[in-house]
Amino acid sequence: MNRRGFLKMATEGAVGAALLQTEACRAPLHQQKAAKDIVPRLEIPTTCDMCVNKCSMIAIVEKGVLKKLNPNPENPKSKGMLCARGNAGIQQLYDTARIKHPMIRTGERGEGKWRVVSWDEALDFAAQKLSAIKEKYGPQGTLWSSSESFQEVFFRNLSQAFGSPNSVRHPTLCLASVNLAYSVTFGTVPSFDVQNARYIIMSGANRLESFITPDTMDLIDSTTERKARLIYLDPRFTKTAAKADEWYPIKPGTDLAFILAMLNVIISENRYNKEFVSTYCTGFGQLAEHVKQYTPDWAAEETQIPSKDIFRIAREFSDAAPRAIYYAGRRSSWSRDDFSMRRGQAILNAIVGNWDRQGGMVPNAKVELGELMFLPWDDPVAPRVDELDKNFLLAAKGDGVYLKLRENVLAGQPYPVKGWMIYKQDPMSAIPEQEKTLQMLRQMDFVGVIDIQMSDTAWYADVILPESTYLERLDPVEMLGGIRPVVLYRQPVVKPLHDTKPAFEIVQGLAKRLNLSQYFDYTMEQWIAEQVKPLPMDLPLDYMKKHGVYSPPQYPKYGSTLSPDHRFVTKSGKIELLSERLREAGYDPLPVYHQPSQVPEGKFRLVLGRHAFFTHASTSNNPWLNSFSPENTLWIHPKPADSLGINDASLVEVASGVGSVRLKARVTPKIRTDCVFMQHGYGKRSPWLRLANSGGSDAQLIETAWDKVSGGAALHETFVKVRKV
Amino acid sequence: MKSSEKFGKNIGVLTVALLVFVGLLTLVPLSTSRAGQKGNEAKGKFYFKQTCKSCHIKGEKGGEVTPLIKTQAQWQSYFAKGKHMKGTEPLTKYMTPEQLNDALTFLYNHAVDSPQPETCGK
Repeated sequence: MNRRGFLKMATEGAVGAALLQTEACRAPLHQQKAAKDIVPRLEIPTTCDMCVNKCSMIAIVEKGVLKKLNPNPENPKSKGMLCARGNAGIQQLYDTARIKHPMIRTGERGEGKWRVVSWDEALDFAAQKLSAIKEKYGPQGTLWSSSESFQEVFFRNLSQAFGSPNSVRHPTLCLASVNLAYSVTFGTVPSFDVQNARYIIMSGANRLESFITPDTMDLIDSTTERKARLIYLDPRFTKTAAKADEWYPIKPGTDLAFILAMLNVIISENRYNKEFVSTYCTGFGQLAEHVKQYTPDWAAEETQIPSKDIFRIAREFSDAAPRAIYYAGRRSSWSRDDFSMRRGQAILNAIVGNWDRQGGMVPNAKVELGELMFLPWDDPVAPRVDELDKNFLLAAKGDGVYLKLRENVLAGQPYPVKGWMIYKQDPMSAIPEQEKTLQMLRQMDFVGVIDIQMSDTAWYADVILPESTYLERLDPVEMLGGIRPVVLYRQPVVKPLHDTKPAFEIVQGLAKRLNLSQYFDYTMEQWIAEQVKPLPMDLPLDYMKKHGVYSPPQYPKYGSTLSPDHRFVTKSGKIELLSERLREAGYDPLPVYHQPSQVPEGKFRLVLGRHAFFTHASTSNNPWLNSFSPENTLWIHPKPADSLGINDASLVEVASGVGSVRLKARVTPKIRTDCVFMQHGYGKRSPWLRLANSGGSDAQLIETAWDKVSGGAALHETFVKVRKV
Repeated sequence: MKSSEKFGKNIGVLTVALLVFVGLLTLVPLSTSRAGQKGNEAKGKFYFKQTCKSCHIKGEKGGEVTPLIKTQAQWQSYFAKGKHMKGTEPLTKYMTPEQLNDALTFLYNHAVDSPQPETCGK
């Protein structure tokens, strides 16, 4: 059987099995119970939380024990898919290494001495500490950091009600540059109709390996079944490279040169969509003039991609339009110029007219949800500690800029920040230059962590407030916009196993002690009841409980914005090839190429990535997932490895300007000679974690650098020395 | 000039000045466009949804109103005029000046030409 046939069979099998189970799920609950008195079996629709994709799933529960997690094909995006992480969610629930009780530190920070306490004591402790900091430094003296979660809204509301302007989220460690670049250009971040595209270019975005998502399945579908052409640029020969039609080991940091050269060819040869550009875009004349300098011959020198191929790919791309896409990617925290590169992508996509077309970029459709309304708090008085209004004029305010924020907190400027509440985030692993994060933790008067496991950050906390896992709690309903928007429901499949609470109840407990109860004086059920009111069915809550997901049947729809009087949410109302808003803020209105720093003699550029089993810190500690990849290695090309006396599996030391780690080498020709690669998230400190001292920690090596427009961390700007140990 | 005449003249000048001042006051809108950008956006969203959205929804007499139906300048201008129902009644019939200021801040910050970079998860 060939690869195509295997994938097709596997997908159909999964869908078939899921359909059978869905049929069983539709039987009323009392009938299920009556029929299975001896071995009661429940099939409970809910939503995964192992990554941001939030696939729908059905939990198989027997006698109160979660046995299996299966896909729920009623979700038109995730369909019959539940990846390795989704399946392994069972182990997040049953992991013996979970935090089972609230704990307060007894020894020094990082010593690992804890005492188990009651919830009252833990919440009293946290609230007293926060109040003391507020008294001494003002509410701005507290920092509240969190990552996306259906319950994150309550944590963020608490930070604002407390009066602190200082909330910081994960996007500047991940996709801030993509979000800002596409928002500036189109007024929104569209979805990419990968399933229906005929020509796809990807810079990195290793979809077949680093992050298995519904887009991955669509990519497999389009490139195998529908024969879309995939052009893939990456300094490594990844699994995506292996499946692509063409792979180019592009010199890191030069993707914008490739894109600008494509623009040069497409415009000079009149291959752009003239009607689309004249109707919907502004700034084309200036763009055309601007890209004249960026010839394919010039780009070939920069990127090390042959000029003839740049010409050909540009022509093929425009010929395939509108079903041609330059995939935006997700983690866009590579270089100091990442924002400009994503802007270049957005502009290239725009001028071939793939906007709101099948196989192109599609603005996300939405489903309106209701909202429980209450009169909120006063605005904070102090400005943000990362001084966004001064340093990052266009960045998303609520997300903050993590690296700039850390610099300012360490400097005590513009004011001291001495309390840190952290929810569902592991800054010690997530932020580069770990030593500085450790300094930041140590200089706090108080650190409180809400988490499910003893992450490296929790290890340094003063109090740990253990959250119930997503399989044990009722969450707010969530709407995911997209080509096929969905409304997702998450309900508990088992009772909480340990003395844990959902974040909502933890927030309520803190709020009560901080005299902020009026902002949290409702139940989760009341919150959800308001959310589902606008849904079109008669009993929306019953529907969501039974099905787990709702998607309006009229989607996908293409072309709803393609009318001349449509107003894009940009300053001009058009798609802004040239952005006046960028110019006014002091940035380049068109993307300008800057040569990346050259790799110093005797060093390598350190490139990071992930694999399908680990997406977040919680997944890397999952027993099932951890077993697939218990340690990381340093990829190095045989030629430099040979000159350094490094063999496969040799122990090597990797040193940057801010730290050094040791891990085993993987000698492989699948990487450029001037780069080394390691997977993110290993080499943990917390002894509770399976990755403790396992492999090397990239967080200890990566130097602090960021994109000046988006504030996105530049994680591929570190040069390292490697030696055999 | 006799002192009584001088006094009368001063009173006259003062009276005119007072009348001009009062006249100017009546021309100043109860919610200023410049102040609208410094109101409380979160409260403004609440007031907008609680008050305006009770009528301004799809299919109802007022027609659907969202922040996206106007530009920032248009929202400022609308609130500067301070009138509702095609100019037949003041906005202050529905909200206090402070609430109007907050509502304007919310609408201004989410207007169709406002910079609203999207984010992950929310």
